[in-house]
Amino acid sequence: MGTYVAKRLLLIVPTLIGAAALVFVIMRVIPGDVALLIFGGEAGGQIDAKQLADMRQRLGLDQPLLVQFGTWLWGILRFDFGNSLWTGRPVIEELLIRLPLSLELAIAATIVSVLIAIPLGMLAAIRQDTWVDYLVRVVSIGGLAIPSFWVGILCILMLVIFFGWGPPLEFTPPWIDPWANFQMMIWPVVTVGYRYAAVTTRMTRSTLLEVLREDYIRTAWAKGLRERAVVVRHALKNSMLPVITLVGTEFAFLIGGLVVTETVFTLNGVGRFVVDAVAHRDYPVVQALIFLIAFGFVVVNLLVDLTYAWFDPRIRYR
Amino acid sequence: MAAGARRSFALSIFVALAVVVGLAVTAVHAADTPRRGGILLAVIGADPPSLDPHQESTFATLQLVAPLYSTLLQTDPYDYPKVIGDAASEWKISPDALTYTFKIRQGIKFHDGSPLTAADVKATYDKLLFPPAGTRSVRKNSYSAVTSVEAPDAGTVVFKLKFPSASLLLNLASPWNVIYPKKYLDKDPNYFMKHVMGSGPFKFKSYTPGASFEGERNPDYFVKDRPYLNGYKFFISTETSVRAAAIRSGRAYIEFRDLPNAEVEAITKQLGDKVAVQHTPMTGQWGIAINNMAKPFTDERVRKALTLGLDRYTMGRVLFPLASLKDVGALLRPGTEFSLPEADLQKLPGFGKDIEKNRAEAKRLLAEAGYPNGFKVVLKNRNVKLPYQDFAVFAVQEWRKIGIEAEQRPLETAAWFADGRDTGNFELIVAPTVEASDDPDTFLRRYTTGDPQNWGRFSDPGVDDLFSRQSRALDPAERRKAILQLQKTVLEHAYYMPGLWWTRNVVHWTKVKNYVAPPNHYANQKLQDVWLSED
Repeated sequence: MGTYVAKRLLLIVPTLIGAAALVFVIMRVIPGDVALLIFGGEAGGQIDAKQLADMRQRLGLDQPLLVQFGTWLWGILRFDFGNSLWTGRPVIEELLIRLPLSLELAIAATIVSVLIAIPLGMLAAIRQDTWVDYLVRVVSIGGLAIPSFWVGILCILMLVIFFGWGPPLEFTPPWIDPWANFQMMIWPVVTVGYRYAAVTTRMTRSTLLEVLREDYIRTAWAKGLRERAVVVRHALKNSMLPVITLVGTEFAFLIGGLVVTETVFTLNGVGRFVVDAVAHRDYPVVQALIFLIAFGFVVVNLLVDLTYAWFDPRIRYR
Repeated sequence: MAAGARRSFALSIFVALAVVVGLAVTAVHAADTPRRGGILLAVIGADPPSLDPHQESTFATLQLVAPLYSTLLQTDPYDYPKVIGDAASEWKISPDALTYTFKIRQGIKFHDGSPLTAADVKATYDKLLFPPAGTRSVRKNSYSAVTSVEAPDAGTVVFKLKFPSASLLLNLASPWNVIYPKKYLDKDPNYFMKHVMGSGPFKFKSYTPGASFEGERNPDYFVKDRPYLNGYKFFISTETSVRAAAIRSGRAYIEFRDLPNAEVEAITKQLGDKVAVQHTPMTGQWGIAINNMAKPFTDERVRKALTLGLDRYTMGRVLFPLASLKDVGALLRPGTEFSLPEADLQKLPGFGKDIEKNRAEAKRLLAEAGYPNGFKVVLKNRNVKLPYQDFAVFAVQEWRKIGIEAEQRPLETAAWFADGRDTGNFELIVAPTVEASDDPDTFLRRYTTGDPQNWGRFSDPGVDDLFSRQSRALDPAERRKAILQLQKTVLEHAYYMPGLWWTRNVVHWTKVKNYVAPPNHYANQKLQDVWLSED
């Protein structure tokens, strides 16, 4: 087990360097120049060639690409991701403003999705081809088909039209004002949670159905065990491996991937930050965020793999 | 009834009436008397790239920080575009119009307690006009006539010019030219990208990037009894429907830039007389740059055919409810001092009201140029829906009627700037012009040879000469003549294709008092006279 974990930890290094190199190259291949964008603003602006050259020099964009890449990697080793080319503030400072919100949303939405998905998936599996199963399938397909941002806009509009009430426009951390935090976060958590519950429900249903057809389950029935014991004690735990993988990767995605939902609910999260940074060609921010999101995925995957052993004792890492 | 009783009764009626009238008058007066206190809550559609208006050209910076600063001059909040003083109490212009002398108001203090003097104004304008290495000044070209700024004493600033500049006063009233304290600029000319230290009616309170920006009342503001508000707070949301919903729910009281008509109608339908809408024209025009260096657009007949193919009058009717684009005009805002008169405008290609005649002429020109069956072309655009893409969709449909198959290609902002402004990698591209005033210098410079904003890359010595003449002409009649001729020349040769002029819907709760929307979303943002009738 220890060797396995050590190997996995070592593998993180090339994975992250690969991700860093890839995003570095992509950002410089796509058209658009951050110096020009900084001068351009909303609708143009007047540009002076000397000022433009000065700006490129100030931003370090006049250096050879390899030097720029090397400088950046050296910065990472010192946990210094540089400054945003757009705002001039340290990237890590910008990230820390947004990370608590994104983490809260990701954790809460994952909890909501699991709380919805596991019971519904189980219900649909053990009542296969009954009206219960059909209802759960309709609800889950609905969740897959309807974009969560659209559900979000619908939520906001209904609240505004029918109750003349809208969610707060500014994030308040739960440790400062739990009620204000709840009022703001409940809607995105529910809409995102519903979307991911739909995926997880379908996965739970199908894996549980597979396990329920296994010989040892038939044996359990033959022994006269009650339905609850068969399903919960024998089938559910063994059907959870793919579900755990799914929930883990969903969680990692939720930290940086909820751009539109964050926009709709005025959430100042990491997803919006990434997209804005790409649009501004803010290389240090994009590189740092992709790097950190990749790091998040790697860590979550590692945790998922380690969790397997607990769920399935047959798995032993050598 | 005895006479005494009648007198008492009459007296009591009189007193009662007097009380009622008095109460009514008091009520009216109370409604009109500014109330102190309250926080003005607003929504804004973008996060600022930095906090330094000298270095930025987006409303996202200016609307947030304008209440924190003073400017040398300003446009009158109640009488745009009249220029009035702010930090300057008075000024005089020498007879040869080469020296402008400004007296600086006494008693203005920065928020750190230090006095605002002529040295601060000089340092500010030196930064704007002659930006030090590593800083930028996006409006520097508007002051090309100025050779130096001097501060002979603490209360006097002198601008020396190399040639007369008809636009100088209006440009000195630019809301972007906020005055910074010299001592901070001396330490770091980029200090104000991340920090704020002004002398305006409000002091900086907090800023959370991507979320909110807050200012609080400056008790030492130099204008007596101002501001009325205790503070203001902007919530940042890039989603139009979210900003509209924030107004509808009362989470915000105003959106200063613009909301589309559909949202405005929904808000007014739900909130009725609780909200007011100020419709104003805008100093902004959506048009299409034609690459004059690329075939077939080197041929004037082809360029003319394109502009003839646009039915601008129908476009205005269709796009106004969707995208706030409304008025047909030339290169300066219709109805303003230097705009082209309607009769002259209609004689220019694409501006006549008989669209069938225009289309027939367009087809004739295309055939004459060797394209009897039209051609295919790519119209590049910014991937922003309002009003960019709605505008382009309409243009594409129009050109189809004269045989031109245009494909709209939306580009991300960076690529749009790179292709349009930087490299000229386009055939046609949507290229708007949005400025802080109707100043002809600012609007027309882009039609001169080699100007970075001349996306169409055309060169006409006649246009260059007219621009230079109007810029130096101090006689308004002489200036107007040159400006009208310049507009006619650009449009007769179809170097550029104007589309429609933008309009502005400012929606606010009626409890927001004393805010008058000027024809752009940059001016009148100091908020010093704004008050709330209730919280």
